[in-house]
Amino acid sequence: MKGMSSRLTLAMTGIIILVIILFIADLLIGSTHIDASEVIRSLFGHGTPGGEIIVTQFRLPKALTAIIAGAAMSVSGLLMQTLFRNPLAGPDVLGVSSGAGLGVALTLLTLSPLFTLSAGSALQGWGLILAAWAGAGAVMMIIMAVSVRMRDIMTVLIVGLLLASAISAVVSLLQYFSNESMLRTYVIWTMGNLGNISYPQIRALAMATAAGLVIAFLMVKPLNAMLMGETFSRTVGVKMSSTRIILLVAASILAGSVTAFCGPLAFIGVAVPHIGRLVFGTTDHRTLMPGVALCGSVVLLLSDIISALPGGGHIIPVNTVTSLIGIPVVLWIILGKTGMGRRF
Amino acid sequence: MDNPWKDRYGEEVLMRKREIIAETGDLAIGYRMRSRVNHVMQHLSLQACQGELVALIGRNGTGKSTLLRTLVGLQPALGGTIKLQGKDLHAIGSSLLPRIVSFASTEPVAVRNIKVRDVVALGRFPFTNWIGTLTTDDEEAVSEALEATGLTMLAGRSIDNISDGERQRTLIARSLAQDTGLLVMDEPTAFLDLPSRFSIVSLLRQLTRERNKCVIYSTHDLDTAINEADRIWLMTGEGIAEGAPEDLILTGTIARAFESPLLSFSSSEGTFSFIRGMQTGIALEGTGLAARLTEKALSRCGYRTDPQAAIKIKVRETPDGPEWIVVSGLQTDHCRSLYDLVSILPGDAGQLP
Repeated sequence: MKGMSSRLTLAMTGIIILVIILFIADLLIGSTHIDASEVIRSLFGHGTPGGEIIVTQFRLPKALTAIIAGAAMSVSGLLMQTLFRNPLAGPDVLGVSSGAGLGVALTLLTLSPLFTLSAGSALQGWGLILAAWAGAGAVMMIIMAVSVRMRDIMTVLIVGLLLASAISAVVSLLQYFSNESMLRTYVIWTMGNLGNISYPQIRALAMATAAGLVIAFLMVKPLNAMLMGETFSRTVGVKMSSTRIILLVAASILAGSVTAFCGPLAFIGVAVPHIGRLVFGTTDHRTLMPGVALCGSVVLLLSDIISALPGGGHIIPVNTVTSLIGIPVVLWIILGKTGMGRRF
Repeated sequence: MDNPWKDRYGEEVLMRKREIIAETGDLAIGYRMRSRVNHVMQHLSLQACQGELVALIGRNGTGKSTLLRTLVGLQPALGGTIKLQGKDLHAIGSSLLPRIVSFASTEPVAVRNIKVRDVVALGRFPFTNWIGTLTTDDEEAVSEALEATGLTMLAGRSIDNISDGERQRTLIARSLAQDTGLLVMDEPTAFLDLPSRFSIVSLLRQLTRERNKCVIYSTHDLDTAINEADRIWLMTGEGIAEGAPEDLILTGTIARAFESPLLSFSSSEGTFSFIRGMQTGIALEGTGLAARLTEKALSRCGYRTDPQAAIKIKVRETPDGPEWIVVSGLQTDHCRSLYDLVSILPGDAGQLP
């Protein structure tokens, strides 16, 4: 890739440095004040017992999750935007997060009581991830089926909205019949939470995300062709049906895994790809995809830092922060000079 | 032995041996919806040769796009055969087909800030590796395609910051970069103004002449098609008529396909004109451009020239430009412009039948 211009190199280096800085900041800053030296000592196992627990059991997993989940959600959004040729596509907008949520709700609220599992253990493993993948994949299939028939961007978005509402109705029904502790676990899950994730869960999330990102990156060439439209892609030899399925699987793995552990993270998936295009000034997925992944990590790390800003003593749900960052971006797309952004 | 095919420098001029690059035999096109088969057109036996500009014309809804899409393998034929470079379309693998035929449709580009050069580079898709890396050869092909379409200066511009005509050139350059012998284009001149339409069609013609490409394009622009194309495929309700533009004029096919109560086709000029009704006679005296344009203006308003007519118009050159003197019975008027002239004539003559 000899055409990697100095601007791209600069942007890429800058954003990597930013991820590192924010990662460190996320470890240093929290609702409880801990000295920087104490944080460093705790990381190497020489801190005070209290500090060590906060740093290694709470802040470190949270920061790692932010990096992984931010990258995964953003790349999932990028894949969906190119796949659906829709600048407003994203896991949450099209109801894919809701689908994953339905999988989670079914696992948490019905299956685990049936098999007399505790809510905590149900949240642990791959069972939850698989349920979320299935839910995300199912919604993605429906959206795909609609978007093949309906070229109109708005129609697809409306179908996504309706699906999300239908799913939330089903989830309400499940909630009605479930016991209090299960319900509590579920409601906290819906607020989006980067903490409360154990290291085995982080390992599962990291592996699933890595798999999703690898599959996604193997598809950069057809993704670039798809910018020119389906007709063009087919005439230069892209096998559209298999390409679509692979992209749907990758996007479902990425969004589903994150949603399973962190809850439905709002607006990251739809907004970050646009931030990435702006920062890197390119539509070429070869540079855009890693760029968007890094931007996603930056945004989620930043959201996490803001949500736990010291002084309040409270932690705001991270969804509140991502919404406040994401919604202006979405508004900017809708009201942008190309109107309703037929293009991106 | 004297070779009759010698040009004036004495060099041997061979009859251009044209190789058929695309051929259909008893082709049926249309759509298959579950059990229902909707034939758009049947029994199409067409040919296109290397170095030829083929214009596909026909009224809206006659199935131009369907034919082009079938020809490039985007939708299955309902019957008959398609041969590209002598090979059956089905027998050509999906990796080889993009090296034989390229297709540019009216499909809008989804992205805003993509550069002209990057769009053209996507034409190299069939040649690049899994990640789409451009080799030196690929870069060269892209540069050459940009140059051939006159886009070298615009290569770094985003496709949002160029005109419609330039955007169409970008798509042509993309097809050119794909380096196929056959270029198929669906309505490359749609939405373009008159000068851009001519420049696009003359570019396409140039590609057939200088690079021996075969270009098949659909269009509504009869004028340029009749003047520039080597071959016309004329779609009508009954089927496709094929031939040189002049052949189709000679047989009256074009006239039959497009004439309506309001349009008449002049076979000698190859142009269409409105049919005017209720023609009133008017006597016209004068020569030169002013007189010819006077006749045109009169015809537009429903008058024909008739030396015996009661109303007489005399065109006179004066130092201040032409002057029109209208004599009707005892009344005489002087006009300084054709607009004035037309507005003093009795008004009801210009109505359509």
